[in-house]
Amino acid sequence: MNESEKWDRLFKEALASTAEPDEELNERMLNRIKERSRRMPVFRKRISIAVLVAVCTLVMSITAVAATQFFNPKQVAEHLGKDILAKAFESKDAIEINQTVASGDYSYTLHGIVSGAGLEEMNSSAQTVNPARTYAVLSITRQDGKPMPATSDAEYGKVPFFVSPLIKGQKPWQVNIMTMHGGYSETVIDGIMYRLIECDGLEMFADRGVYLAVSSGESFYNSEAFAYNESTGEVKPNADYKGTSILFDLPLDKAKADHAKAEAYLKKMRNEPSPKTGADPETASNDAEADMVKKMDELKNKIPDGEIIPESVKEVTYDDLGRAIYEYDGWKSALSADMLFTEGQTGYSDAVQFSEANGNYMALQFARDEKGVITGRVINLK
Amino acid sequence: MDIEALGNLVQLHGKAIYGFCYKLAGNKADTDDLYQETFLKAIEVRHKLDASQNPKGFLISIAVGLRKNNRRKWARRQRIAPIAELNEAVDKHSWPYSNETPEDAVLSQELRGMIQAAADRLDDRLRIPLYMHYTAEMSIDEVASALRIPSGTVKSRLSRAREAVKKMLEVESL
Repeated sequence: MNESEKWDRLFKEALASTAEPDEELNERMLNRIKERSRRMPVFRKRISIAVLVAVCTLVMSITAVAATQFFNPKQVAEHLGKDILAKAFESKDAIEINQTVASGDYSYTLHGIVSGAGLEEMNSSAQTVNPARTYAVLSITRQDGKPMPATSDAEYGKVPFFVSPLIKGQKPWQVNIMTMHGGYSETVIDGIMYRLIECDGLEMFADRGVYLAVSSGESFYNSEAFAYNESTGEVKPNADYKGTSILFDLPLDKAKADHAKAEAYLKKMRNEPSPKTGADPETASNDAEADMVKKMDELKNKIPDGEIIPESVKEVTYDDLGRAIYEYDGWKSALSADMLFTEGQTGYSDAVQFSEANGNYMALQFARDEKGVITGRVINLK
Repeated sequence: MDIEALGNLVQLHGKAIYGFCYKLAGNKADTDDLYQETFLKAIEVRHKLDASQNPKGFLISIAVGLRKNNRRKWARRQRIAPIAELNEAVDKHSWPYSNETPEDAVLSQELRGMIQAAADRLDDRLRIPLYMHYTAEMSIDEVASALRIPSGTVKSRLSRAREAVKKMLEVESL
């Protein structure tokens, strides 16, 4: 045995473990794991409206269930309870993409996209106006291998993501998921976040060039993350942006492009009169938006008769971006104070968020006092 | 991976994982916590565990990661204790290596303690591969895979760790 081998043996003997886990510890540990696996998921539907935001976003949060690898779009849709959409992702109309881009702390995979009418059980007002919808599934993982926070986790939502189609030639702050009557559903499974986005049908734009933009740090389009070239109509990520700023090309079927339909859609969106019909701009109003606002107003009218949850009344804090942060019992909100109150305004804000679980509605409302202190409160609506 | 599969992992690798955790934590209470947290975390990322060819190495890497998060509160306590232990052991024991070969030396309780204490004083970059190799009985390649570094780097760190421990033992014997 040479010197090195002798020392190796010495180290082996000296550093060998004599400690062992006792039976009780192992049993306790396995019981804890079984208990965690048995916990029921919590479903919460969130509806949000702010006076200064043109379109509402519908968000569904569901806690994790077992999965051993990436879910495909069909599985994500099934997991979110959208069976018709799940079948659509299996159809020949679906486009499988599975492209991954790493940016900042995260890795993003665009799994697939599908378009069509009647792909959701829920007949929302957005679908009534624009029956053709486009759906896409994106997953987000951390590059350091740590899991994304579960929706029940305190960390969930602290890093917001903006995921939206953008059309080449159209100003991204004017034409994006928000203005295209879009929304998303999100879930976290085994540490992987899946976002299913939807918006008005994109196929009509297929010949122009359509991107899927992803950025971090804001839930809305951020002009610091992307640069728009007015002369070429191209959108590019800003290299200087500290956070994620990426674009996927959406490989839509150019044969389904419809230039005339697309133009009419864009004109309606901009509330310009159509040259063919000469319609009055005042009548070119957004019916889908009006329906959503009406629903929100109905819920807002219930607030005076609602019951404030005493423990929920708390002062907001502020993050690095100056947004007012409110958290209570899994409800997280990050909004600019300008969106909640006009300058000098005191009292209750017009902006309210709503949450629905098992048919029970709750509202999150903010108030500002004379000293400028903003508090939030959750109200149980009857 | 279901509970039964996890139970099998605990049976197969529990002792190695626990022993490794004990080296990092230093006492039973914290070792029990780190050990449990490791397996609880493993359940959260079980898709990676299933894909891994080396579950033991993967579990060890989870323990290392969890330990790093708790490292700060440990740093002060651990820095003092091993030096005291080492000095005491040196005072009581005459250093055998001047006259005897390692093969002939009886690995006494004090010497074992001296090597352990010296190992514990190493920087994590050297200490962790050392414990993974000798305490958790992982091969060079398994250590490399768990730490996501080349095998050559593992060999180099182990060599440097052994040299550093030897140097500390020689210095303390003077």
